[in-house]
Parts: sequence; structure tokens; C-alpha cells
Amino acid sequence: MTDSAVLQTGLQQPGWQVDRFIVATALAGLALLGGLIWLETAPFMVALFVIGSVLGMALYHGAFGFTAGWRNLVVKKRGAGMRAQLMLFGLSSLIMVPMLYSGQAGLVGAVAPVGTSLVVGSFIFGLGMQLGGGCGSGTLFTVGAGNIRMVVTLVFFIAGTVLGSIHLPWWLDQPGFDPVPLVNTFGVSGAIIVQLLGLGLIARWVNRVERKAHGNLERGELLWKGQEHGVFRTLISGRWPFTWAILILAAGNALTLALSGAPWSITFAFNVWGAKAMEVMGVNMSQFEFWTWEYPAMALKDSMLTNAPSVMNFGLLLGAMLAAGLANRFNEASRSRPEGRQFLASVVGGLLLGYGARLGFGCNIGALFSGIASASLHAWIWFVCAFSGSLLGIRLRPWFRLPN
Amino acid sequence: MERAYSPVRILVMLGIILVLIMADHLSSPTFAFNSGQGNVQTALSQRDETACAPCGAPCPSTRD
Repeated sequence: MTDSAVLQTGLQQPGWQVDRFIVATALAGLALLGGLIWLETAPFMVALFVIGSVLGMALYHGAFGFTAGWRNLVVKKRGAGMRAQLMLFGLSSLIMVPMLYSGQAGLVGAVAPVGTSLVVGSFIFGLGMQLGGGCGSGTLFTVGAGNIRMVVTLVFFIAGTVLGSIHLPWWLDQPGFDPVPLVNTFGVSGAIIVQLLGLGLIARWVNRVERKAHGNLERGELLWKGQEHGVFRTLISGRWPFTWAILILAAGNALTLALSGAPWSITFAFNVWGAKAMEVMGVNMSQFEFWTWEYPAMALKDSMLTNAPSVMNFGLLLGAMLAAGLANRFNEASRSRPEGRQFLASVVGGLLLGYGARLGFGCNIGALFSGIASASLHAWIWFVCAFSGSLLGIRLRPWFRLPN
Repeated sequence: MERAYSPVRILVMLGIILVLIMADHLSSPTFAFNSGQGNVQTALSQRDETACAPCGAPCPSTRD
């Protein structure tokens, strides 16, 4: 017996099952934490929490995984996932670049220095993506959906970010230069056009790879309707077409920028959580230069409920949990527990993800998605280096008994 | 279909996370501020616009 309910007459969808326990628990968690944030912080933090939960649902229901999208292109020579990512970057660039450079005070883009730290960090991150089984967003939404292997990856991801934060000042002293916003060179319209051209060129390469292998293109990224069910049922229980996820993710990042003053990011929160854990264990993190810089120092000292990435991550975890409950698939990926080399892959992958994210100034969300949406050169370098690292990771996966 | 998880374990895990969040919050400047203690700097408006990266890292050109 399960607690799953068969919803029949009300929704007129015979056989539609939801996991009532998971749905109720996720909703209770959202209400409890949302209420606490409302009472103790500010209304915009509650809005960010809600946005985080919607993004979590979109990532889960849209199966919007950056890691699998890259691997599908390399291994199966199928490019729908990759093209969906490129469409997301293009749409966000169109929306957010004008917002950021409209002259409105208080908006800061995801721009970062270009140099050794970025190149090494993003390569390591790409390698970690394939071994750990997810990127920043992928790790979080799969943990929310109850995937045990990804819980292991997340724990070591957090440990890796802490180690990376201790080493980052040394890496910043290696050759590199200050951020390069493309708007400074091309203007707002020019930067958007240059970026769309860049994304178009990548899409063309992806199409060529797929056509060469299969003789045709699977245009899954262009579908507007679910393949199995009607619109309402697809919206509630998935699986969403890529286009729905693209629209929600692009709108979510733009709203995050408007409300918090900075684009969506994920891994800085992992840094804060890990550093707080270290302090509980008696380590004075202020002895390390990273934690003396203004923003990290304030985030470490104050409540996680005042840290926008943390609040959004909590929402994302619960949103993914809710989505998995609605799809009646919570914990489904964990029926076989990770053991041996698969467990080792989660440990190594997690550490590489965390260390790489800190050196590379973020993950696929904070550095790549938000970076391109901010027209920053570092995001493009991150993309190339992380994809290269991912190629190595894909070659190493069989040794770790991970299927390609 | 057999359930793939233990509900008790899920509730315990979420409870532990909530306790950790609460413990962190109760010892924070924001909670002190909300409790009426003045002269406390909170991190609600925490953007460092002089930083060179989202994590607050300084620009390479400003380092020795």
C-alpha cells in the first residue's frame, strides 16, 4: 500500500496519482519557512523564496539538467537539451541586459574577473558535473526530489566550496584581469546581438553534430504541449516541454534581479552553509582572507534567512520536492543505493563541483546563465572550459560504473 | 507500488534542517535587531557594489 491518492472524479484524469505525504510535507515546509522569512526578514525575501520554489518545480518538471544535456550531445549526439539551454541564455540576455544597463541604481550583474582562477575553476566544475551527476541547480533539485546519491554529492559540494574559498585569494593572485562587460565594448544592443550570434553559432554546431550522427534533428526544445497528457495535468505533474521551463527560468532570473538587485546564484549559499558548519565545529573562518571580504563576512555573521541565495535554495529544494510528489516520483532514483565506485564518484564529483564553483565564480546558474544574462565575457570562457572539463568527465564515468 | 522512502526519515531530516536554520537565526544580528536591540548591523541589504564578482571577491587590479 502507498499513501498515493488516485485522483479521479475531481480532476477527471483516471489513474493520476500524487504522493500525498510528500506533497503535504513540501507544502507544510513552504508555509513554515515562508512564514518565518516573512516574520523575521522582509517581504522581498518571501518573494525570492517563492521564486526559488517555482524555479525548483520548473527544473524538476522540465527535467532541465545542464549535465545531461551536455552528455546527450557528446554521447548520444542529440542536441535538444543543449539547444534548450541556448534558447534560455538568449531569452535572458534579451530581457536582463537592458534591465542591468538601464541606469537603475542598485542592480549588479553577474560579472567576474577573467583569468587563471576562472579557467581552472570552470574546467574542474565541468569535470565534477559528470562525476557528481549534476551541476549547481541539478544537484539541488534532485536532492529536493529525494535522490540519495545527490545528497552525497551536495554534502561534498559544500565541502568543496569551503576549501575553494580558502584557496581563492591565492588563485586571484595568479595571472588575470578585471571583469569585461561586453556592454562596455559593444553597447547594450551590440552586446545582445554579439551574444545572440555566439549562441547561434553554438546551436549551428550542435545541429551539425546531431545531423551527422542521425541524419535529422529531434526538435524537442520547440514543443509547446506535453506529449502524454493535457495542459492542466502536465502543468501539475509534468513532464513540462522545454519551452515552459525556459520561460519560467528566464522570468525567474529576471524577477530575482529586480527584487534582490543581483541575478540568480546558487553556490555562494553552499559556501555560507559550509563555513557556518565549520564555525560550529570550532574553526574560526575569519582567519581566511575570503571571509574577511565584506559580502562573505556579512553573510557568515548574519542569519541564512537574510541571504538571498540561501533563501532561494531553500525554496528550490522544497519546490522540487513538491513537484516530485505531484509526479509521484519522489525518491524514485534512489531505489538502488550508491555503493563502491559510484559512491566515490559522488564524493570526488562533489568536491570538484564545489572547488570549481568557488574558483570559477559560480556554477552553471551563477556564472553561466546569469553571466551571459549580464553580458559578461567571463561567462563565455566559463562555458568553454566547463564543457571541456565535462568531456573529460564523460570519459571517466565508465570507470566509476556510471552509465553514459 | 512499494514506497521508495521512509516517511519518518524524511520528517526527521527536514526537522533537523529546520532546527539548524532556527539555531542559526536565533544567534544572528537580524534576530537581535528584531528583538529590539539597536546598533546592530544586519545583512538584509548586503550587496557589495564595489566587489568584482558575485561572491564578493575584489578585482585582480586592486590586489598587491
